[in-house]
Amino acid sequence: MADYTKPLPVLPLKTSVLFPHQMLPLVVGRPNSIAAVEAALATEDKTVAIFSQLQDETEDPRGEDLFTVGTLAVIRKMVRNDEMIQIVVQGIERVRWQEEVTATPYLTALVNPIPTPEDWDTNEEALHREILTIASQILSHINPQAQSALQQMIGQVESPIHQVYVLSSLISLKIEDEQRLLAAATQHEALELMHEFLVHELRVLEVRKKISEQAQSELSREQRDYVLRKQLRAIQAELGEENPEQADVAELRRRVEEADLPESIRKEVDRELARMERLPSAAPDYQITRSYLELVVELPWKRTTSDQLDLLHARDILDRDHFGLEKVKARIIEHLAVMKLNASARSPILCFVGPPGVGKTSLGKSIAAALGREFVRESLGGLSDEAELRGHRRTYIGAMPGRIIQAMRRAGVRNPVIMLDEIDKLGRDFRGDPAAALLEILDPAQNNQFRDNYLNLPFDLSQVFFIATANTLDTIPRPLLDRIEVLEVTGYSDDEKFRIARQYLLPRQLLDVGLTSEQLALTDAALMKLIRGYTRESGVRSLERTIGSVCRKAATAFASGRTDTLTIDAADIEPMLGHERYRLQDLRKKIEPGVAAGLAWTPVGGEVLYVEAVLLPESKELALTGQLGDVMKESARTAQSFVRSRWAELSLEKQALQCGVHIHVPAGATPKDGPSAGVTMATALASLYSHQPVRRDVAMTGEITLSGLVLPVGGIREKVLAAHRAGMKLIILPKANEPDLDELPEGVRDELQFVFAENVEEVVAAAIPTLTPHLQP
Amino acid sequence: MKHEVRRILQSFFNEATEPYGATCWCPSADIYRAQTRWLVKFDLAGVRPEDLQLRTEGRRLVVSGVRRDFAILEQQQAYSMEISYNRFERAVELPLDLASAQIETDYRDGMLLVVITPTA
Repeated sequence: MADYTKPLPVLPLKTSVLFPHQMLPLVVGRPNSIAAVEAALATEDKTVAIFSQLQDETEDPRGEDLFTVGTLAVIRKMVRNDEMIQIVVQGIERVRWQEEVTATPYLTALVNPIPTPEDWDTNEEALHREILTIASQILSHINPQAQSALQQMIGQVESPIHQVYVLSSLISLKIEDEQRLLAAATQHEALELMHEFLVHELRVLEVRKKISEQAQSELSREQRDYVLRKQLRAIQAELGEENPEQADVAELRRRVEEADLPESIRKEVDRELARMERLPSAAPDYQITRSYLELVVELPWKRTTSDQLDLLHARDILDRDHFGLEKVKARIIEHLAVMKLNASARSPILCFVGPPGVGKTSLGKSIAAALGREFVRESLGGLSDEAELRGHRRTYIGAMPGRIIQAMRRAGVRNPVIMLDEIDKLGRDFRGDPAAALLEILDPAQNNQFRDNYLNLPFDLSQVFFIATANTLDTIPRPLLDRIEVLEVTGYSDDEKFRIARQYLLPRQLLDVGLTSEQLALTDAALMKLIRGYTRESGVRSLERTIGSVCRKAATAFASGRTDTLTIDAADIEPMLGHERYRLQDLRKKIEPGVAAGLAWTPVGGEVLYVEAVLLPESKELALTGQLGDVMKESARTAQSFVRSRWAELSLEKQALQCGVHIHVPAGATPKDGPSAGVTMATALASLYSHQPVRRDVAMTGEITLSGLVLPVGGIREKVLAAHRAGMKLIILPKANEPDLDELPEGVRDELQFVFAENVEEVVAAAIPTLTPHLQP
Repeated sequence: MKHEVRRILQSFFNEATEPYGATCWCPSADIYRAQTRWLVKFDLAGVRPEDLQLRTEGRRLVVSGVRRDFAILEQQQAYSMEISYNRFERAVELPLDLASAQIETDYRDGMLLVVITPTA
């Protein structure tokens, strides 16, 4: 048939391979290819050699751009169409590229026919059958309806290799794979390739089917839900019921109407409501919007309580709940007076600072009661996240308003008393500084426009009466301290404690255990013993516990059948509670030279501290022990230098001055710091160098300078109370601290003798009278 | 353009009933029966008589050959082509043994006429 001795026009094929016996419609557009087709059409037998391109992109391929095995084809039909020729070609037989003859105007080449392989055995037979089985499975996946027709079509093809060619056109193969199939040298090779391709294709189809089935089942479940929901809505409409979402929105709308919101807030709320109406209840935003709107509606935008402005009544309430605390009570009454004259006055922001158990928190409650306001307490202890105070933005999952807005919601009015408890125990870490948020909340100039992140609407906090509490001011940041009015709530003296126990603690504990004052009585001596022997504190918390324990012991007696009055005297305490826990052993019976009593301030009240010093004859050093801080160590050096420099005035032994000194401050395990032990150290050293003991009933405090001046120190009230408790008679204080004595209870002040010193000489003169007779006044 | 494509695809699928049957085209055939004879007519226009072969295989009558295109006009160029060229083959099966039958052929107006007269 074809004349292989002459060059044939070559038609390069992109993206596909023509197999022998296959009919393939082609659109020819490339000028070279058109020329090749024209040339083939001009021959009497219409033959053309078709080779696939190695690369799709090659525009004018030459021999080296084509696969070497191609197909001889006859052009069966053709039609011209603008610049293109559409043809139908039929593959005749496989040919191998021999050599290129011309490249222009079209590619021609000499090709050799490849004979159809004839190998056939049981192996090939088995492969062939397997291929047909897999093919039929594939066909059932692709198109179950057309399966039988296609199978019939394949069945009509007699030769196995031609069946393979047919199958290759039914499954999608890469051009490289098709070409491998075309170039297969034996039937066996072609069958094996086909088998491999079919198995792969089957696997892909199975996975595809699984995926599409899954997608379909998911889709159908959603569709089912949708249809059911639609029907539910139709039924509800028929019954004249609202659907749950509409009911929610309607309920919220009703509450908005009732809430009497300010105009600007109302606008925002209406917008949110409109948005909510359009949301399906399953949308996550629905619940978020709903809880947001509930918050906005519940917040007290305009509601207030009217203040109780009767000064006498307020005073009664304050006195009823708390003993003493004159300064604080006076401040509250002052504020009431201001409110009476100017109703729009800003509420003050107070901070109570004092040791634990003195009644700071309960004082807040009384203030609220005295003013007739709502009371909300927020404990800030350990809070370290700024967002806790100011809220999270609503975009976050689980977002909540901050503590302040929550407190306002609980209060239900916009002028409550909010107590910010333990403000000195705010944490601070990488999440931000809650103290910084407090700056805005507590600033009267800014807090009428407080913006919570969650609420995202300005809220007026200016009518809120803020009360903060703290044990110490040291950990409160300066800018925060600057905005608040600090009121010190100091510790109680024994006498005050006694009266508090009589008036408040005992009646309360009796009530708790169910006894009356007729059944149980405590003598004054017994109560004093409880205060002095069983508690040591600035507040009254553990005193109340101790009284409670006595009451419970008594209650046991009554429950066991006792009927007559039980009177407890001092002597009865020890059998009930065991030995005294604290003794007045602070006051040492005998004092060695080199020992002096100082006074220290701690967050739980005052303390008597002894400074002990000894000479180290073999050494020059100054040893300091007792967990002393840097300031205290420096204060010890200053004291030593000062005393040494004044050896003559103080008539000290010059020999002793050459020795080293060891200063120790018990108790050794408690860290101590601060400059206020300066005078004590100087006195102890003067006593040590002169070998004259200090008066045993004298205690002192004050900072010293190198030139011997005595500077004022803090915590005088606590220190003096501690000295009084310890049984001291004479207290030496810096001259500048004299006004602080006003804070002392009169009973204490009258029992003590005070020396106000301006320089160390005066201190030493008062403390060691034997040393410096010439200095005695 | 669309119409053209559809036409080509259609023609492709018409032939797709037997697209891999052979590597050649297949002329149409009519079979007539008379009292004692059979007439088989093949549509073989444009085939030169010398390019035609006729053979019998038992009951099958097989005609094969080549249709060659030829130029009439100078510098002619195909504008559209529907007639198949190159090799063809067609077999028809008749209910009689052809080996013993008498076969006459005639080529008239582009048709190959085969008259078969059974001898028995």
